[in-house]
Amino acid sequence: MVSLLRRAFLLLACCAVAASATAQAPVAKIVSAPAAGEKGGPGLALRTKKALTVPLEGRQFLDDALILVKDGIIVGLGPARTTPVPAGFEVQDLGRQWVMPGMIDLHSHIGGTFDINEMVYLVNPGLQVSTSVVPANPALEKALAAGVTTVLFIPGSGVNVGGQGVLIKTGLDKYEDALVRDPGSMKLAQAGNPEGWAIGVGRSFMNWNTRDMFERGMLHAQQWREFEQGRGPKPVENFDLQIFRDLLGKKTQISTHTQIYQVVLSTLTMVRKGFGIDVYIDHGEMAGYKLAAFAQELGVQAILGPRVVEVPTRQFIQWTGSNPEALLGIAAEYQKAGHTRVGFNTDAPVIPGEELSLQATMGVRYGFDDSNADSVRGLTIIPAVTAGIDKKVGSLEIGKEADLVIVTGDPIDQRNSVEVVFIGGRRVYDTKRDIRRY
Amino acid sequence: MDAATTTNDRHAGARMRAATAVACLVSLVACRSSATGGGGRASSGPLELGPGDSGQAIHCAKVLTLDAGDTIHAPATILVKNGKLAWIGPRRAAPAGYEECSADGLWASPGMVELHSHIHSGGFGDTNDMVLPVNGELRAMTALRPGNPLVRRAVAGGVTTLYGIPGSGTSMSGFGVIYKSKVEGGFEDVVLHEVGGLKVAQSYNPERNAGDLGRTRAGLAWILEDAADRAKALRAADAVDLANEDLAKVMERELPVLIHCAGSDGFAAAARMWQVKYGTRCVLSHGCFDAHATAPWIVATGAPINAGPRTVDYMTTRDGAITGTAAKYLAAGAKDLSLNTDSPVLPQEELFLQGAMSARYGADDYQMLRGCTIAPARVFGLDHRLGSLEAGKDADIVLSTGSPLDPRSRVERVYIDGALQYDRARDGQWF
Repeated sequence: MVSLLRRAFLLLACCAVAASATAQAPVAKIVSAPAAGEKGGPGLALRTKKALTVPLEGRQFLDDALILVKDGIIVGLGPARTTPVPAGFEVQDLGRQWVMPGMIDLHSHIGGTFDINEMVYLVNPGLQVSTSVVPANPALEKALAAGVTTVLFIPGSGVNVGGQGVLIKTGLDKYEDALVRDPGSMKLAQAGNPEGWAIGVGRSFMNWNTRDMFERGMLHAQQWREFEQGRGPKPVENFDLQIFRDLLGKKTQISTHTQIYQVVLSTLTMVRKGFGIDVYIDHGEMAGYKLAAFAQELGVQAILGPRVVEVPTRQFIQWTGSNPEALLGIAAEYQKAGHTRVGFNTDAPVIPGEELSLQATMGVRYGFDDSNADSVRGLTIIPAVTAGIDKKVGSLEIGKEADLVIVTGDPIDQRNSVEVVFIGGRRVYDTKRDIRRY
Repeated sequence: MDAATTTNDRHAGARMRAATAVACLVSLVACRSSATGGGGRASSGPLELGPGDSGQAIHCAKVLTLDAGDTIHAPATILVKNGKLAWIGPRRAAPAGYEECSADGLWASPGMVELHSHIHSGGFGDTNDMVLPVNGELRAMTALRPGNPLVRRAVAGGVTTLYGIPGSGTSMSGFGVIYKSKVEGGFEDVVLHEVGGLKVAQSYNPERNAGDLGRTRAGLAWILEDAADRAKALRAADAVDLANEDLAKVMERELPVLIHCAGSDGFAAAARMWQVKYGTRCVLSHGCFDAHATAPWIVATGAPINAGPRTVDYMTTRDGAITGTAAKYLAAGAKDLSLNTDSPVLPQEELFLQGAMSARYGADDYQMLRGCTIAPARVFGLDHRLGSLEAGKDADIVLSTGSPLDPRSRVERVYIDGALQYDRARDGQWF
């Protein structure tokens, strides 16, 4: 034992010597000029067989298109035949490859360290998961390799309000560069997990407790609004309830872990109808689809996952030996009920972050009508609108950030692979330059 | 017959892929008997229905026959007579008496064949008898539960024939059963071969600490060669030994042998032992981890490869790079490369997804469809009945809404021996 310890110490000492030696060695710092498309670099013109532009309204794609990128922003977009390439732009012909906007995952827990369940209190509106962010961590890098460029990193669902999520880009290694918006959302776990808190808590108490906190929060925000408009005294600062000022001002939303019929009903009636807060179904699964028409009526978007199929009748098939249960596609059910704002999430690492597009693929397998590119929309523009970041990302439109994914074909057909990803005009993943990660 | 209009397309892969983007709305399936056989009555002898004969005419958008010429017909008709494929070709009227089955918008492809599967007992275990290292006397067929729930889900994934084998807990774990994934019916209805072939585990899992040989690869190799040599010697001496009777058949190439060999070392060792030294009808299964590094040599020995359940390698690269193994095997010139799920390690219904993901990682997708159909049938000597849609073979037909390898496509109907086993419109979507 002693000799082992001594050997370990010697080894450490050697390491220390080696480390100091390296530290003293001159380090050549490579400073390269910004590449085409990047901020400060020359313009980039991408010619593609098909651009899945997916704007909120109108035609969803453009065949044989030219995409112009300058300083990280999309500055031009049109048919290659009629769109001139401005002087100084570097042209890259992508051949048969397609281009789509970077995908957005609005339910993700892989943004950093996994300490995202602070379970002392049942509601924690002041906690910020942005303190846990590790930019460009390996899990995010893998999601990036599948075309995911933005994620909403949120607290867990151990309690009803786990805290505030943060919207970050996946492939940028500085927090300041990666940050899209903080708070990205307030995470509400309406039910179905927080029941395990403390000695156990029921749905009616959770509902009252959450409602009570919302009442106090909205009152606080209202008082601040009146003060700012010169109609009331200055309220006492309440750090815990500060986010309600953002919620009242529609600067952020509530992302809700919600799933079964009664729970989704609470989300819609309490949060949306009762408090008038921008809220979205962010864990849409199970029988919540039965409220799809009501959600549409209230303007509540549905981001579905991690389960994208529902087993409507549960039997013990292993024991009875009866036929497998028939499965329902949840996305298809929302769509059939007339819901027009359906998106997909992974709840990563529950479903790996890199399998976001597979969620949409399985939606199509189980009947989601894809004739208007709704699968791609559900990965891009719908989550962008849902999170209120559609001015910046979510579609290929002039003025938006150049978050581009280059795929060998239709991205929803999993036989195709993601070859290159740009974030803000920066080539952050390229299978020709880097390793293939997915 | 309209032989002239037959599409004989050598670039089947490209065509299949191109047409995949088409989303098909499937009309409700209507099956009705052609009452009078009014128009276009074909009088070719073998197609005519005698008393007691049954016939179906399936009219579909496209048939991927997977025959030697990679023929694709679109639109197409498949004639089934008494559970066997009687005719496949361009759209035609059904002969008199045939039941007309409309499959508008659907693609037909052969039922898939799985060579590495453990779901025959329905997930109730019974796949590893681990008292002795060599179990040439054991047969998996005793554990078979026809139409069990796992098998039913397999049929909904388009898998119609399975080689149900014992586990890899011992060096030689016994003989697998070749059966069909029929939803109804007993042992006699589903089993093709009660003793379908041997299962060998070259290394990794059978390493044991039972007080006998087999703690190391050297010990495991000795155990296998000792058993093989004894079986050969018994056959040569015309001696009767029930425990080694089946094993002797493997050594005489009367039965195939599937070998669990995971990484490069086991892969190479298995090829050396079973292909080069003993010359058996071996199929090297798994080929995971870094096994693709040995691909050129394995291919040179002529031993066929059955890849899965891992079809990507991310463990042997230090930087997390992913390598598609099927693409590597194809690049090395592998003939009849087949894929497996090792179900329930991967769900049996996801056999097609092994092909889809291999395509994502660089393998030709049509070759991957072959790898789920005709290739496994060929290497196990079942291609006279299975693996392609050709006259005379079993009517094991999968109808899907698009390319069978595209995960967006749904399996709509599956026929086995001409009998409808799964119908999404009737049964609901099982997968």
